[in-house]
Amino acid sequence: MKIVQIKCPSCGTPIRMKNKERIFLCDNCKMMHTRNHGIESIDYEIADFAPGTAGERMYMPFWRLYCDFSIRSKNVERGSFFRLSQWIKGDRDSGMLFVFIPAFDVSLEDFKILSTRLTLNPPHYHTTMNFGGVPRMPVLLTKEEAQELADFVVVTIEAEKPGVLQYLDYSLIVKDEKIIYLPFIKTPSGPVLAV
Amino acid sequence: MDITISLNCPACGGTINASEGENVVICDYCDSALFIEGDSGVYTIAFKNKITKDSVVLESKRWWSEGFKARDLKRSGKVVECYPIYLPFWNIDLKVAGWICGYEEHIHTDSKGNMRKERIPKEIMIMKEYVFTEIACDPGDLGIRNLRNLSGETSFEDFEMIPTFESTTSRDDALQHAKDDAFSRARDSTRLTEITFERLHVLPRRIFLAYYPIWVVRYEYRDRMYVCTIDGVTGKIISGRAPGDPIFQSLAVTAGASIGGLIAAAGILISQADPGIALAAIGAGVAILYVFYRFFRRGSEIIVGDFSERSHSPGEILKEISEVTRKFQRVYR
Ligand SMILES: [Zn+2]
Repeated sequence: MKIVQIKCPSCGTPIRMKNKERIFLCDNCKMMHTRNHGIESIDYEIADFAPGTAGERMYMPFWRLYCDFSIRSKNVERGSFFRLSQWIKGDRDSGMLFVFIPAFDVSLEDFKILSTRLTLNPPHYHTTMNFGGVPRMPVLLTKEEAQELADFVVVTIEAEKPGVLQYLDYSLIVKDEKIIYLPFIKTPSGPVLAV
Repeated sequence: MDITISLNCPACGGTINASEGENVVICDYCDSALFIEGDSGVYTIAFKNKITKDSVVLESKRWWSEGFKARDLKRSGKVVECYPIYLPFWNIDLKVAGWICGYEEHIHTDSKGNMRKERIPKEIMIMKEYVFTEIACDPGDLGIRNLRNLSGETSFEDFEMIPTFESTTSRDDALQHAKDDAFSRARDSTRLTEITFERLHVLPRRIFLAYYPIWVVRYEYRDRMYVCTIDGVTGKIISGRAPGDPIFQSLAVTAGASIGGLIAAAGILISQADPGIALAAIGAGVAILYVFYRFFRRGSEIIVGDFSERSHSPGEILKEISEVTRKFQRVYR
């Protein structure tokens, strides 16, 4: 085993960080990369704060997976309609869908709330080139883990409604993945999205 | 787990502590992000042996005098060989996320004895972390399958100097076993009568190979050879075979038979009015007999550890029994 210093694969600048992360962001050329399966560059986007946002600011990273989703059949005991079908773009039971997955350290309850709300109601925002000195939470979930969890979010959306899910046959193919830094402000009742 | 490995920062030379299986480390002195590259993707660490030969012999003798072993074992047993070996173990931390849906079935009986089946649909979310360990070589007749202790001083520099058992299973095989194990543990945790839908995902968090010191003690008792193993970190017995005490065995079997018989008989006497109680009592009597039978069936040997013809601890047998009697009651009440 050997230990090496992590350097930006694009410009060679050594990466320095205070908190452990699964991604490495170059201060010099802004390239983001991972090393889970060899060196791989990662696409990312920084959403801007809505004009006039007051309060303590922070950025939270999400994996946004562009997924091809289709349902073959399902069965809900004492249940209601299929919830996702209203949101996917395309035919009733298939189409493309953005699945949002928190990439930072979060409790299971918050994971469920954030992933289902953002997936059912994707945020609209303007992008910006840098963080503007606003602190960001470290990325702790790898791309591969996010891909596994996309499926979990979809079933969670279906299961978290009246009626008990008994059967769901579907396919979900992740076409593309990106990290989105979403702006939040701290409030006494928890962080609030500020786009 | 509190295993740490000492390293030097390639940027500033400072000493850093990395925790095992982790591939990214930050230098406390210069904030440099550092990456640990395993040999073909496998992280290997070795635990340091912490005990001496003398204490191994002492622990073996303590074990000899414990429980239903031959009473003169401590006096007549003779250690023939005592040496440390390093055995490789896979250690895998993983997270399981997903949903299991299905139903629970309950049978209700009303006062007239009519049975009604009730089906309760359930959807259960799974988000759990599991730790899996598995030996990575064939340990022969040592009775060791997994690692119970996971804390101790480790290094990853000097283990190449000590004689070790070569690892014979691959990282991918171990990962597959860990996944299968986590899936079945997740399924068991739902307690559903029938599963109708399941989507589970495994996220492996850390995988490493740990070499662990184990002392092998071979000893002789009345011209027969036995073996036991002692943990080289904690100094405690891990596995072993020892001669049993013939007097304990015959006493126990007699006592078991009489207690079992007495309960069954008393049950029938007290409950002539109610056949249900009598049946339950017979069940209990049979159960007690069964415990003694299973415990002493092996006859002359006392065994601890994961040997392929596993001995059952009294606790495990009791669990088995309670399952048997539960089924019994379901049929008759
Ligand atoms: Zn760079």
